[in-house]
Amino acid sequence: MAVAALLLTKEIARYRPALYRLALLQIRDKAAADDATQETLLAALEGIERFRGEASVKTWLFAILRHKVVDVLRQRGRFVPPPSEDLNAELDITGFDTLFDAEDCWAAPKNVWANPETVVERKAFFKVLEACLTRLPARTARAFLMREWLDFAPGEISSDLDVSPGNLRVLLYRARMQLRTCLDVGWDRA
Amino acid sequence: MTDKGKVTCRDTTWLVSDARDRPLTESERASLADHIAECSLCQGASKQFGALFREVGAYLKGEAPDTEA
Repeated sequence: MAVAALLLTKEIARYRPALYRLALLQIRDKAAADDATQETLLAALEGIERFRGEASVKTWLFAILRHKVVDVLRQRGRFVPPPSEDLNAELDITGFDTLFDAEDCWAAPKNVWANPETVVERKAFFKVLEACLTRLPARTARAFLMREWLDFAPGEISSDLDVSPGNLRVLLYRARMQLRTCLDVGWDRA
Repeated sequence: MTDKGKVTCRDTTWLVSDARDRPLTESERASLADHIAECSLCQGASKQFGALFREVGAYLKGEAPDTEA
């Protein structure tokens, strides 16, 4: 039992970088992301007896992190965008124009991505995905992750970001389109 | 269906995104399905979006493999 707990403790610590990277993508503040990661690891160590092994250690930790990050966002209140990032630039989706022709039909065939199946392929795929997520502007990434990860209602996200529902719709569209394009370019060479 | 319900490829990308945030109306769902059924480019794009949402979900749940070396 003691040996099992020790092994689990070691495994928990191994996921610190992955937890921190996701926390940082959402919170965009190094100190706060580090705190959320630390609290997640502590909660996991304190609750180690409750880990039943039904989920993997990693998914268990990610579920704890999700709760911690929701708490952080609620405590910190409204998002303060970095001064370098301009909402109008983030709302500008004319960059996608080249994807479509004059009739708004896709300009080029869409190859279905080769399904990443082997361990090596999946690793490479998620490396590209993580890089694509990191490249989203802060506000766009925050909106996207609040929606897709934390499952906040669009109304809550609008008020957190202080943008209109219509602008939030554009930010979420942009995030999804940009991720699709990014994976198209970054992954589909395989 | 009437021309009024016809949508472009670009319109379908908006509907695919909106569907993640709110239920589509009956007519939006019909327009989307009809367009995709007839458009091979959108069939490819919609498989890409499906894969994107599935893999993003896996990543966010901690089901993805570690990305560090």
